[in-house]
Amino acid sequence: MGLPIVEAAAHANHIVGVYPDRVEIRSGWQGRSIEDIHLRDIATVATRGLINCTLTITTNKGRNIELKNMALPEARQVKNTIETQKQRAGLYE
Amino acid sequence: MRRLFMLSITSALMVLALPAVAFAQEGLSPTETVAVLDTMWVMLAFVLVLFMQAGFAMLEVGFSRMKNVGNVVAKILANMAIGAIVFWAIGFGIAFGAGNPFFGLEGWFLSGNIDAGTIPLSMLFIFQAAFAMVALAIVWGTMLERTKFSVYLIFAIIFVGIIYPMGAHWVWSDEGWIGALGKQDFAGSTVVHLSAAMAALAGTIIVGPRLGKFDDNGRPQLMPGHNMPLAVLGVLILWLGWQGFNPGSTLAATVDIADIALTTNLAAAAGIIGAMLITYFYKGFVDVGMAGNGAIAGLVAITATCAFVAPWAAVVIGLIAGVVMYATALLMDRIGIDDPVGAIAAHGMGGVWGTLSAGLFTTPALAEANGGLPGLFYGGGFTQLGVQAVSIAAVGGFVFFASLAVFGILKATIGIRVKPEHELNGLDISDHGGYGYSEGLVATDQPNGNGYGTSDRRETTGSTT
Repeated sequence: MGLPIVEAAAHANHIVGVYPDRVEIRSGWQGRSIEDIHLRDIATVATRGLINCTLTITTNKGRNIELKNMALPEARQVKNTIETQKQRAGLYE
Repeated sequence: MRRLFMLSITSALMVLALPAVAFAQEGLSPTETVAVLDTMWVMLAFVLVLFMQAGFAMLEVGFSRMKNVGNVVAKILANMAIGAIVFWAIGFGIAFGAGNPFFGLEGWFLSGNIDAGTIPLSMLFIFQAAFAMVALAIVWGTMLERTKFSVYLIFAIIFVGIIYPMGAHWVWSDEGWIGALGKQDFAGSTVVHLSAAMAALAGTIIVGPRLGKFDDNGRPQLMPGHNMPLAVLGVLILWLGWQGFNPGSTLAATVDIADIALTTNLAAAAGIIGAMLITYFYKGFVDVGMAGNGAIAGLVAITATCAFVAPWAAVVIGLIAGVVMYATALLMDRIGIDDPVGAIAAHGMGGVWGTLSAGLFTTPALAEANGGLPGLFYGGGFTQLGVQAVSIAAVGGFVFFASLAVFGILKATIGIRVKPEHELNGLDISDHGGYGYSEGLVATDQPNGNGYGTSDRRETTGSTT
């Protein structure tokens, strides 16, 4: 499992962590829900806003996962790391 | 034995004789004697106010979890360091220097001709610097357990250097625009406590609640502090410090300090009773933490009016402050604001109520002696109440929006919150390299925090569209 490359908090107990092969999103009180999204399944990642930034992860199945109230540097770091990891894995080919 | 007895007698005689020797010096005029006595009194008051930092440290340590106590005390040390240096360099000049109705333009590094009354300028500065440190401690208390240490430091410089001094200038400076309206704020319900609480509210909104504070439906969850005796010790130290905060604001050794001390202590006592009663009726038991915050709310409320009201009014003011504090704490939880120590309720609403109460309870005699108009209940009409309300809106609004802007910029640039892993493991180990307590003590929660990582895995996640 190992530690995430980057990790950030979002609204209402949400924590997003980027691993070499996947994005893990913990949510719910005491982190009861954990969802893994493989990098291959991620279509785009976008950030919106300045102070309370929203990170939107769009999957290949058309699902949008919105992580709100993030700090801009952290949202950008998550976005850049996901894109870097996808490029590194050659998943854009 | 005989030698020891003689030594004791000699020591006692020397202690008794020294002041007489001091005052017997030729050339010490009555004016100089007054200056010496005033300086001694303000010095004592300064020591008491400075000791309030120990009170804030114990209060915050008690209300925080074991894994964060080292961070709390580190924060208090940084508070005192930045408070003293920045207020000396910039803040004092903006607050008390001559300039315009909005800010001072002289007095940087304690230069210039700032009028300090009968006491030396350095004495006035150090006393006021202790007030600025108190304000800063209040701000930081609400952001416990999840804020980056660097954010504390940057905000401290801006708050003590610019934001707090501007509010102080408006109310306490000779040319301040709110002071010119006849505003009554003897020791700083508005300037110190309301200002700090508004900055704290802005910071808490921007940083967000601690992980696990609210459940999936947004209901607040109990995240108790780890040591209630320490929290109560903090309250008691603050109460002690308030004996310098309010009576010391006379800035002179007058007989008025006795009456001010009386109203101060009556309000604190009534604040405890008010908070105990309301928690008992609402919860069915006496909440110790809230009782402590009731004392603080009473003290904050009487801070504005301690030199303006009769003892019976101090009891009423304190009692209502305790009740209002608890109602505000419940409201904060209801609207999703996480304030671990209850400072927004105690200092914020205590400050609002205390400031308004001056417009209600000020006696004609004390208004004539200390400035402003009598309160509504003494036939003074609504004028003073209106002035008090304007000052709340102006100072509170300015500090809130200025702080919101600063915290917003910090969030958009360097980020304001520690990483989730650090928050869950505790800031002591992640930010300061070691636990605040010895390793032999058992933590109040798991090292990896709140049960994360032991949960069931479900395929549903927060906001999806």
